[in-house]
Order: sequence, then structure tokens, then C-alpha cells
Amino acid sequence: MNIYLDNNSGAPMRPEARDAMLRFIESGAANPSSVHISGQSARRALEGARAQVARSMAADPRRLVFTSGGTESNNLAIFGTLKAHPHRRRIVTSSIEHSSILAPTAELETQGYNVERIAPDASGLIDPDRIASAIDRDTAIVSLGLANSETGAIQNLESVGARARECGAIFHIDAAQALGRMRLDVASMGCDLMTLSGHKIGAPAGIGALYVRDASIIAPAALGGPQEAGLRAGTQNVAGAVAFGAAAEIVNDHLDEEIAQQRDLSALMLRSLLDSIPGLRLNGPVDRRIANTLNITFPGVLGETMLLALDLEGVRVSMGSACAAGAVEPSHVLLAMGLTRAEARSSLRISLGWANTRDEIESAASIIARVWRRLAETPSTRASAEVAR
Amino acid sequence: MKRRVVVAMSGGVDSSVAAAILSEQGYDVVGVAMRLADGGDGPSYRARRGACCSYEDFEDARRVAERLGFPFYVVDMREEFENRVIGNFVSEYLAGRTPNPCVMCNREIKFDRLWERARALDADFIATGHYARIERCPCGEYRLMRAEDSSKDQSYFLFSMNQSQLSRTLFPLGAMTKADVRHRARLLELVNADKAESQEICFVADNDYAGFVERAAGDAIRTGNVVGSNGAVLSRHNGIHRFTVGQRRGLGIAAGEPLYVREIRPGTGDVVVAPSSELRSRGLVAREVSMVRDPASDSIAIEARIRYRHPDIPATLRMGSDRRAEVIFDNGGPAVTPGQACVFYNGNEVLGGGFIESAL
Repeated sequence: MNIYLDNNSGAPMRPEARDAMLRFIESGAANPSSVHISGQSARRALEGARAQVARSMAADPRRLVFTSGGTESNNLAIFGTLKAHPHRRRIVTSSIEHSSILAPTAELETQGYNVERIAPDASGLIDPDRIASAIDRDTAIVSLGLANSETGAIQNLESVGARARECGAIFHIDAAQALGRMRLDVASMGCDLMTLSGHKIGAPAGIGALYVRDASIIAPAALGGPQEAGLRAGTQNVAGAVAFGAAAEIVNDHLDEEIAQQRDLSALMLRSLLDSIPGLRLNGPVDRRIANTLNITFPGVLGETMLLALDLEGVRVSMGSACAAGAVEPSHVLLAMGLTRAEARSSLRISLGWANTRDEIESAASIIARVWRRLAETPSTRASAEVAR
Repeated sequence: MKRRVVVAMSGGVDSSVAAAILSEQGYDVVGVAMRLADGGDGPSYRARRGACCSYEDFEDARRVAERLGFPFYVVDMREEFENRVIGNFVSEYLAGRTPNPCVMCNREIKFDRLWERARALDADFIATGHYARIERCPCGEYRLMRAEDSSKDQSYFLFSMNQSQLSRTLFPLGAMTKADVRHRARLLELVNADKAESQEICFVADNDYAGFVERAAGDAIRTGNVVGSNGAVLSRHNGIHRFTVGQRRGLGIAAGEPLYVREIRPGTGDVVVAPSSELRSRGLVAREVSMVRDPASDSIAIEARIRYRHPDIPATLRMGSDRRAEVIFDNGGPAVTPGQACVFYNGNEVLGGGFIESAL
């Protein structure tokens, strides 16, 4: 049995994405920069994909840069903006971002940048007024996630763009987790840069995109070729891009249905777990959330052990992030929300995706309840005082 | 249905071959590496490079699991290890004793906390790459035995195991030599077939245990004098944790005849030294004594092992109260080192053991 409930880490590839990829590979997979007809054909495939992905965020395709994924997009957004705005020394972000924002901004802090990290409230939401008041004329970039990967919280960023513009700061939204789970529109969201990731919606890992409102607002990080309007040198991953395009096209055409399905299934999961596990708690906001993500504190058990026990029963979930060695760490997002270390260590993330069925969710809910009972009865897998220290 | 065994894997060749053997025998193997100290990410890792829990060790274990086709996980046991093993290691040194963290790790972590984790994973057994054997006698009781290969025997570190632990533990290497194990690893093309032996104390880099204790203890370090057995002060020293009973080198004194540490007095900080003739003892008192099987009587003839690499000493074990026991050497014995384990053997069988409290 294999019930995959870790779609926020990466969704299974959609058949449409796989087919598009295979079509391109079998057609010869030429270099889209080549002048010959094979190259022109590859270029046509690439530009078709660009239009499809751009449509998912209501953007002009010419403003879209393909990258190797969300991490590269976030790095390009941050380092590229600072390079293009060398006199501005301030960065506004939050304490609950993905590591591909946390790590670059921490690195920049050691280089003398002034990094303001806004903390969330207990539900994982960031006060937009606090963001706005942190932005000043020295601010180069405001870099914030739209949907949180661990709790699913959807931040209210409506007022941020206007304030950033007022101060001449660049506004970057990391929408890697939001794509396919809510409607995106770069213009109405008022952003200058927006990160997308292919494998979160059923394209393969290794392809992502960055929306860049105007090429002059960032400087390229990689040099060595004119590709991607000079913003990202290197031969494009066309096979990945066409798969991303195909997956985006499904999202574009069926977003409301997919959201409704995931809302139903995650509500079913939550109801079932609440009925069978006394003291279970859902982390994150009740309403302002992407429907596919459930972050749950399982009372009295170690999340790590529960994750492994579920894995051996065929149910794939996740917890926080993994260290280099592959051990799980309690979620920095939950800790920033004020959960204790013990609570964070008792929490798991269940994230649904396009491929999950009602049968799977019903089976998974009963397995999760059974495994929780087994662990709760095993003395030291309980989150004891020792573990909490 | 296949029976599930959680194998504690360090990334070394022994535990890897142990896992391979169990996998071949048809067990449902789950490999688990314990993250016991900070590894790969922080600056402390760079300071401890070469010590345990490095990224490379976990990767070696992971590659073995991939090659043999069973699931592998790294479990975070840093807090338990810190509280139950490292804390004890430091406080024992500060109390003038010489601890044995491997014994503590087996007792407190592998066969206790890790077993609890394994049980939560629905495991029937836990296995390690220790060189020791478990036998079941016709009466149904389990016996803990020395390994076939006496040069690798690790039964000393396992004396605290009880019947229920033995009933759910597998030591697949008990009848193998190290050469057999390496040969097996090469046949299986395991990446770590020729990996070097692990060092003495896994969480202490370069075997600098004194520096480790000093960093952990800070102001609690007990300095004092090196004194002769007549009480004469011979020199100052930088901390009693730098000494172990029976030690000869590094005392910082030039004397006519060789001097050895006879006693460490944590109260005053005195380290008492004496010539070897004054270091004999007639036995020892052990505390936290545990027996693998219920002893037949309160007074038993045994062979006592007072350090891992010390020859067995014929002795009589007299059980006392409060988990204490006296071990009386039949023909007298050398100085004993408080804090070390004293393990009681009868031939190849481990009867039990305890920690040395004092000499008699």
C-alpha cells in the first residue's frame, strides 16, 4: 500500500506532464537557442510552455523566467534584486519562510544587511500592518510566502505591494505552495517578483519559474548566455518546462474543481481524526488556508516515530524539515507560532494532492488513528518531559 | 508473516553486515541510525569531525540499506543521549570516577529508548552489530554469552541486559570473526567493507575526553594536588577528571620508582599516587548490580572482568542489598578503577555485572 500524503514536498507527476515531456524528448529535444529548424521547434515548445505557466498567475509570458525550481527562483529574486539595488540595505521578510528565503537572508545579514523578520501570530498569520510599517526607503526587497508550506496559512499581502511601491522597494511573493491551491494574479497582488515551482503541481522536480515584472529590477545571478532575457544563463530545461506547462494547464482549467475536491477530502480526514483521536489539534488558521494542507499535533506521541510507523504502514506524511543526515527536525514555523518544542515534535503535516482519492483518505485516516493509539500506549514514544527539554 | 527487526546501524561494517544477514534470513529489516550528537549542520560538527553521527556515516548506512533493499531512517535521540549518557559521562569524571559510556549507551539508549521506538514501529526484535551471543537454555531462560571470536568479544558492554531484553534482541555477528564480517561485506559489495574501526568514545573527537569534560563542565572542574600515600604534596594538577586509577603516565612528577594513581578524592581534589606495590586490592564493591538470570545462590564463583581489555580474575561474588555486591578476588588483584564496569562471567556466560564503587 502506498498512500501519498506529502504533496507539499512534491506531487506525483501528472500523466499530462509526463506525456508532454515524452513528446518533446522523442521529437529530438534540441537546444532552443539553436538557429536550425530543430532548434526552432524546441523553442516553440518552450514558449508554449511559458504561455501556459504564465497564465497560471495571469502574467505576461514575456515576464516569466524559467529556473530549476522554487529554491533557485527565490535566490534569484533576492540576490538579483540586491545586485540591482546596491544602495538599499534592508530586507523585510518573515520568520516562517521556506529555507530558500531564510538561508539567503541569513547569509546577507552576515554581510551587513539589515534583515527584518516579522513573526506570525499563534495561527501562523502575519499582520500586514506590521509588514507595511517595516518597509522603508532603505528597503531593497520584501520577500514573503503566500501560502505557508507547513500550515497552509494564506497570508494577507494585499496592502504590501502598495506600501513597497511607495518606498521604491521590490515586492517578491513566494507562491510555490500556492500554485494549484488558490488563484494567482500578479497584477492584483501587486508584486514585482513571484516564485513558482513545478513539482508542487505535478510537473517533475527541476523546473520552476520566476515572474519578473520588469527585467531591470533584478540582475542575473548566472552569467554565460542570453537565455531567459539575459536573466538566467544556461540552456533551458525544455522537457521540464513543457511538463510544467502541461501541469499548469490542468490547474488553469480545473483549479476550482481541484480545490473543492481537496477541501472535501481534507475535511473528511480532519473530521475522521478528530473523532478518533482525543485532544488532536489543527495548527494554522481555520479559514485562511489552502485546502490541501493539514498540520496536526497528535497528543502525547513523538511525531518522528509516528512518521516512521506510518511510513511502514504505507502512509507517507512529513514533519518539519530534514537535516542533511535525514533526521527530521521540529518545524520552525510551528515554533515561530509559539508551539512548545514538545508540541512541535508531536506535529505532522498531511498534504493532499491531485491524485488522492476518497478511498485513500478513508484508509489513511483509519491507519493514522490506529498507529496513534499504538504509539500512545508505548511509554517512551510519548512526548515526555525529557524530550521536551 | 515476516517478523520485523529494527537494526541499529552506525554506518560501520559490523552493523551493516548484521542487517544484511538478517535480511538474508528473511526478516523484515528496518535500518535505524541514531542521531546521538549534533552532526552535519553546525559549527560543533566541524569541531568534532571524525566523531560519531557524521553525515558520511549516515550516508554509508543509507547506501547499505539501499543496496540490500530495506527502509532506513535516522532517528533523533540527541536529547536522550545528552541526558542519559553524556551527562553521566561528565558527572562521573567530576566525581573522580572513570565512566564507561558504551555500557550506559547500551543500557539507557539502545536496549531501552531505541527498543521503545522499535516497538512503536511494530518490531518483534531489535538487532545490533555487537560481537556477543544469546542462547536459550532448555529451561526457557536466555543466556548472554561471549562472542565466538574472543579478540572481538563485546559481551562486557552488554552485562546489564535482562531476560526480556535478551528475548527480543538479535546479535547476528556472535559467531563470526571480524575477518568473516569484512569478507561478507566485500561479497555484498557494501561501501564500508574496509572502513576503519570506530574510535574509542564515539562522541569525543580525537579521544580528547579531558577537553570534552572541561567544555561541558566549565567551572565545575575540580583541581587539586597530586599527593603521595604519606600525604606529601608532590605537584598541582588541572583537574581530577584527567586521572584514572591505575594510570602511570602523565602524572607530571619525577620519582625514583614508578608511581601510579591509587585513589582520586573528589572532595579535596587530591590525586593519591603510590608505587605499584601499594596498588593491589583484594576485591571491590559494585553498585547498580544486575544479573542476566536469577543467581542460584548469594555466593558464586566467577571470573571478574574489571576493564574491557583486562584478563579475567577468579573471584567470589557475594550479593548484598540495595543492588550492591562484593567481588572478592581469590588470589588478590590489581587496583580497580571506580566507575568502570565489573562484569561477572562463568566460563563463556555473562552472569551479570555492576559498576565499581570502591576497592576492598
